[in-house]
Amino acid sequence: MRTEDYWKFLGDVARKTVKRLENMGAAQVEAFYLATRTTETNIRNSEIFNENTIEDMGVSFRVATSDKHVGFACTNVVNTEKAVFEAGEKAFTIAKLSPSVPDFTLPTKHKIPHVKGLFDKRVANADVEETVDIAYRLIQSTENVDKRITAKGGIASFSYIQKGLVNSFGIDFEAKETQAAVYVYGSGSQGGEVTPSCGDLELKRSFDLNPEKIGKTVGEMIVAQFDPKPTSSFEGAVIFEPSAVSYQLFYAMMSALNGENVVAGSSPWVGKLGKPVASEILNAEDDGLLNEGFNSRNFDDEGFPSQKTALISRGRLKNFLQDATTANRLKMANTGNASRSGSGLEMASQIIGGGYKAKPKVFPSNLTIQAGKKTRNELISEVKKGVLVGDMGGFVQAGSGLISAQLVRAHYIENGELQYPIRGGMVSGIAFDWFKQIDVVGNDRKQFFNAVVPSLRVEGVKIIGSR
Amino acid sequence: MFELIEKGLESKTVAKANLVQVRGQTRKITLCTAQNGVIENFSHITINGISARVLAQNKSWGFSSTNQVKKEKVEESLKTAMKLASASAKAKHQKIVLEPVPIAEAKISAKAKKPFENADLEEIKNIPQEACKGASAVGKNIADVKASFLTIQDQKWLASSEGSRIFQESTRVLLFVDVVAKEGNVYCPASENLGHTGGLELFDENPPAGLGKKVAKKADKLLKAEAPPSGRFRVVLHPTICATLLHEAIGHPLEADLAMAGGGFGNHVGKPVMSKLVSIYDDGSVERGLGYFPYDDEGVKCRRTLLVENGLLRSFMHDRTSAASMQTSPTGNAHAWDYSVEPLIRQTNIGIKPGDSTLEEMIEDIKEGLFIEGTFGGQAESSADFTFGFQNAVWIRKGKLANMTRGANLSGNAISVFKTIDAVSKEVVLRPGACGKGQFAVQGRVVPSVRCEIMVGGQGGK
Repeated sequence: MRTEDYWKFLGDVARKTVKRLENMGAAQVEAFYLATRTTETNIRNSEIFNENTIEDMGVSFRVATSDKHVGFACTNVVNTEKAVFEAGEKAFTIAKLSPSVPDFTLPTKHKIPHVKGLFDKRVANADVEETVDIAYRLIQSTENVDKRITAKGGIASFSYIQKGLVNSFGIDFEAKETQAAVYVYGSGSQGGEVTPSCGDLELKRSFDLNPEKIGKTVGEMIVAQFDPKPTSSFEGAVIFEPSAVSYQLFYAMMSALNGENVVAGSSPWVGKLGKPVASEILNAEDDGLLNEGFNSRNFDDEGFPSQKTALISRGRLKNFLQDATTANRLKMANTGNASRSGSGLEMASQIIGGGYKAKPKVFPSNLTIQAGKKTRNELISEVKKGVLVGDMGGFVQAGSGLISAQLVRAHYIENGELQYPIRGGMVSGIAFDWFKQIDVVGNDRKQFFNAVVPSLRVEGVKIIGSR
Repeated sequence: MFELIEKGLESKTVAKANLVQVRGQTRKITLCTAQNGVIENFSHITINGISARVLAQNKSWGFSSTNQVKKEKVEESLKTAMKLASASAKAKHQKIVLEPVPIAEAKISAKAKKPFENADLEEIKNIPQEACKGASAVGKNIADVKASFLTIQDQKWLASSEGSRIFQESTRVLLFVDVVAKEGNVYCPASENLGHTGGLELFDENPPAGLGKKVAKKADKLLKAEAPPSGRFRVVLHPTICATLLHEAIGHPLEADLAMAGGGFGNHVGKPVMSKLVSIYDDGSVERGLGYFPYDDEGVKCRRTLLVENGLLRSFMHDRTSAASMQTSPTGNAHAWDYSVEPLIRQTNIGIKPGDSTLEEMIEDIKEGLFIEGTFGGQAESSADFTFGFQNAVWIRKGKLANMTRGANLSGNAISVFKTIDAVSKEVVLRPGACGKGQFAVQGRVVPSVRCEIMVGGQGGK
């Protein structure tokens, strides 16, 4: 059988299994089925290291009894109807033994939008010669910037994803998507001193990649790190560049906006709808409809239509991110944010992985912070004393918003000019306070996995120097 | 499975390959998560698959995997792997000439006193529920409790063109407890994990309810604690945070692939790199460790590899490729998270040899410093620069433990920090750990408490 035939077979047996489980007394049944094929080339120490193709196909079932006892099971043994049905049956068995989940519900059927630019035939059919070529260009363009640079690692990866969803409320959707990703990181060595690793990435849906631009950017980042100096401790303005925003600050915001955390009472923004949670120049929305967006989709991972949801307008909290169950529980509207991307810092979800293996969780699609007008240079020129932070190391504590992060790719700013790269040092503070202290938003918005964010300049941040 | 994957080795497709490795796996994962007393997720996951890895023209590896366990798919994966390996050979400069390894024929099952297979769903569901109950009982400030019980049951087959035939079977059992205590606008998280290779005897000494209670008590206590200070301090690192520091900031730079990319240890084998009190090893044969593997995923027997001996760098951790390029022997550190991905150089159970101090003695000698406990994980560069979150600290004043502070991050360069170690505890503990180097892995850490100097990034003053 060809892959397409397997796919059709899987869709058919998933539908049949849903019906059979309903006939056996299940009140709500959902089958999520997925096929992925990834071709990738990895870089290690200035060389093409290896090439992989990984293909996988699997199906998962969520089954609820009439009194909302819920079970989940999945399998990637999908070549017989019996194996697929056994996974469904297992979910039902688990459901009958589990205590009830209050307000559990699968979504009902709605018309779904069609987001443009999520599939590119060229990516779906990409050959290994093409990923090798891109990886090779990444290495060359990074190392051509300066002789002292080594491209330490990276990847060129093309994925073809097919997904399908069937549930007891009439949802029966399928979608095809592609993802193209390049990433390279490296460091420079001078007189026995090695710079911190610097990396950049490009995440696209189409073949329209620019490895030369990524490599050059990384090369230039590395060169800017030579001759670092320690700085003393002070309080000043910090410009967080998009990559720094996309990690710790983004994680704090995403956790506070997550409907699951509102239900659990662990979001610090519980009860703050309509109230200020950030500087009045900050606007954020979740945009599942973004054309060509890396995490855009026609429907979320339980079949609810994608939408654009205003979350923060002029610094005021407008909404939370919801899936069918949290929306039902909080008596709010579903925002189409059920996701099986499996991302998260919890070890259990990392062990399981994503896709068909994961039960949906609330997660942003493309959480977008509206770009401002000022360029990076303008942001810097207005700072009397501060730091430009390219990246930060270390986690944020989700509930408290505590960030005490190591400076990576950071420069000291004085009198509106970059002075020198900083060796060592940390920034420390509470992300939720920093959101309120943002005084300028940059125009340099960039797409990360599910964040589309610009530079943010924050006043009054504590910098811990190593001098 | 052997019959199926062995056939592939005879395929004409790979007749010209230098080496062929075919792996097969079945994995079952059971997850049961209780949040605030409700079973929020009860999941059963089955994953089967095969992969083919081929070295061609003594230059390049190709790898291909599929979930379809079938004869024609083995053939197709080999063909793809061969094509992939050949595609990049022309762009490669360095040769890979592998050292032969002893041919192994082995069938090994990890031991379990109370095998998980014998547990029914009712019993499974009670484990996280009990942890939740134990935590919630601590009091009204306990705002959110999440307990996840997880098992990974693996069967793995490896057949290589050199003649090795290895079957390994194991079960890993884990419990994670995360608690958030809340009072007014103050949120204090705390967490703790248990995990080992074996069965449900994991809970004989540490019942889930007791673990829940312990974590919740800590979170509750932190509500009243002061903010952590900032600056450089003399500290005692509890094994929980020592494990993170060892794995992330010392372990990774000791992995040969990262070392060769300009890691912090350079190529200083035989030279002093840290305090003489420190000896570090990696040991895949620690039977209860989460990183217990009799053989790695290239068929190399796992053993204890001395990495640092009394402060002198002795060895890096290797796969066969890095061993070839550094002209040494592989150390059994090539591990793949599952059949679908290729093996990378990974730690198994990394450890620090016990020292000769008691914890009391280590604290007694500090005039003003901190006893640092608990980890929120973190990250490190191959240069050994790191940032890690700790859950709480206790002030040490005049050799005595004083008031508690909340958590913050630690940062610095671990090699520099390990040069400042002036005491290592007699007692070592086996801790569960995890790693996300490109792909996931569960690992063990065998760690003491250590005394050293470190930078703390808190908000409070002295």
